[in-house]
Amino acid sequence: MNTPRDSGCTLTGALSVTTEIDGSVTIVHGPGGCAHHNFSLFHTLCIGRDDPRLPRLLSTDLAEKDIIFGGEDALDAAIRKAIEKNPSIVCVLSTCVTGAIGDDVDAICRGFHGIPVISIPTAGFLGGGFRDGHIQALISLSSLAECGEKTLSVNLVGEKTLEFERDEHFNEVKRLLFGIGIPICTRFICRSSMEDISRLSRGSCNILRDSSMCEVGNYLKGKFGTPFIGSFPVGPGGTIRFLEELGAVFSLDVSGAVAAEEARQERMFEEFHALKGKKVQFRDSLGNMTDSEVCSEIAESVGMDVHPAGQPLTVPDPFPVGTEGVRRLLRQWRRACRA
Amino acid sequence: MKQIALYGKGGIGKSTTAANLSAALASQGLNVMQIGCDPKRDSTRMLMQGRLIPTVMDLVRERGDAEISREDIVYNGFMGVRCVEAGGPEPGVGCAGRGIIATFQILERLGALHADVVVYDVLGDVVCGGFAMPMREGYAEEVYLVTSGELMSLYAANNICKAISRLSSRSRSTCRLAGVICNAKNIPHEEELVAEFAERIGSFLIQYIPRDQVVQQAELNKKTVVEFVPPSRQASIYRELASRVLENRRMDIPAPLDIEDLERLAYEYSP
Repeated sequence: MNTPRDSGCTLTGALSVTTEIDGSVTIVHGPGGCAHHNFSLFHTLCIGRDDPRLPRLLSTDLAEKDIIFGGEDALDAAIRKAIEKNPSIVCVLSTCVTGAIGDDVDAICRGFHGIPVISIPTAGFLGGGFRDGHIQALISLSSLAECGEKTLSVNLVGEKTLEFERDEHFNEVKRLLFGIGIPICTRFICRSSMEDISRLSRGSCNILRDSSMCEVGNYLKGKFGTPFIGSFPVGPGGTIRFLEELGAVFSLDVSGAVAAEEARQERMFEEFHALKGKKVQFRDSLGNMTDSEVCSEIAESVGMDVHPAGQPLTVPDPFPVGTEGVRRLLRQWRRACRA
Repeated sequence: MKQIALYGKGGIGKSTTAANLSAALASQGLNVMQIGCDPKRDSTRMLMQGRLIPTVMDLVRERGDAEISREDIVYNGFMGVRCVEAGGPEPGVGCAGRGIIATFQILERLGALHADVVVYDVLGDVVCGGFAMPMREGYAEEVYLVTSGELMSLYAANNICKAISRLSSRSRSTCRLAGVICNAKNIPHEEELVAEFAERIGSFLIQYIPRDQVVQQAELNKKTVVEFVPPSRQASIYRELASRVLENRRMDIPAPLDIEDLERLAYEYSP
């Protein structure tokens, strides 16, 4: 079975967003199992991150009877129950079976006022996967943004909250932005509060996590007129280009920051002089040979020799972000080469 | 045990035909059960003196399926015909097809499916798998198509053939097309047209039921024709249908027509 990273349950993709909102409760409108296996997954992840919180999930726990007569009453009751917990927002996710029988989740959600109740269509059988759930959640939640003047700042859009190195990626982008004096307006959505989300329209540029978030970038561009940069920076050259791109968007002179970053990269490559002259080859996480451009670039900078009989080195997916990402990668490779 | 299912376009007279057929079969001394498989729940009404009996799905909704007994869902009507209505959700919500599947499971669990003849009266269009349930293994082996000579009615009958031929191609399936019943709308050459249609799909016209005022009168009196005026010509036609169904040995896998052929056929018989 071919299981690319972005496939999988649409619900999980949406939950990777909704569970990141401070004080949110997410209702999974479907059979108990849909919520349960996701709860387990997120709970395990929280434990792994030393986060003692339990994911705030509620299931409408539908049975055959609800499918025959419609699950809308059960959803209405679940939303009321969720509101009793005084959440900042209630996110309602549909599932395959409620999609199949045509429960009007949007209409039920619209019937509530006061606390925002947001419907996110996530019936996976319609052809989506994890990525589609992620995208759908961001698009649905962008309705919470309040109109306001743009400020000299950027938003980070579509961070992959389940990524192992999520915080490292974020910190690297933050460092690069700090270097050119541009603050982050909001993270849409990763460890966000409702107030953070409401500021979404005020950022002057959206930086997408990677190209899979292009649909969200385009949507936000249409909705708020915010231009976007297509990805967090990858590789040494990519990091420099990222700074230059930001400079162009904000009409800033970034030559100082670029020079400083280049110097930082130079020092980093010297740090790994032990890899110089090593024969290596690159493999993806499934063990297949890959001729990644970024890897060739790094190999050249360090002075490694890419060779079919070389030491196999794993190219992680996702690729670590920025200069510091390259540094972590080189440490791994150095261990692999026992250099 | 003989299990038969009546399928056909909505409003074509399936329930009237089914109820009169059940009444006629019961009049011959057979133990008959009629199961209405339509959320409209009015299949057995004429057998029950106009009473809309509680449906299986009503009871599931009120008490859950664990609390249902056979007595709650099986009602004795005219000449001891045992009547069941599947029922279903309110129009526009939920999943009626799943309701039919659940009803069959409950009938099985309660051991309610036994009779000399079980007559399934199924909703007009086989819109999803749930409504093909009566055609599945262990249920109706003989499907009768009820149609008039109107194009739309033939079109629906032809569509149902597609479901029959699909299901009958499964290895353990015993479901076959047993015949076509023409419930006339009094259009010219109707009997010849429907007979020709039946042959073209690889079956035969088992009974022509002419249009007769007495059907309407019987319904206004909340009775089947067989009960209301037993000596009438119409009642004798229903009794004739009952005898033919009992004797019928035709079990065909139908070959549905394509739409152009069907239209051409209807055109040939138009006045």
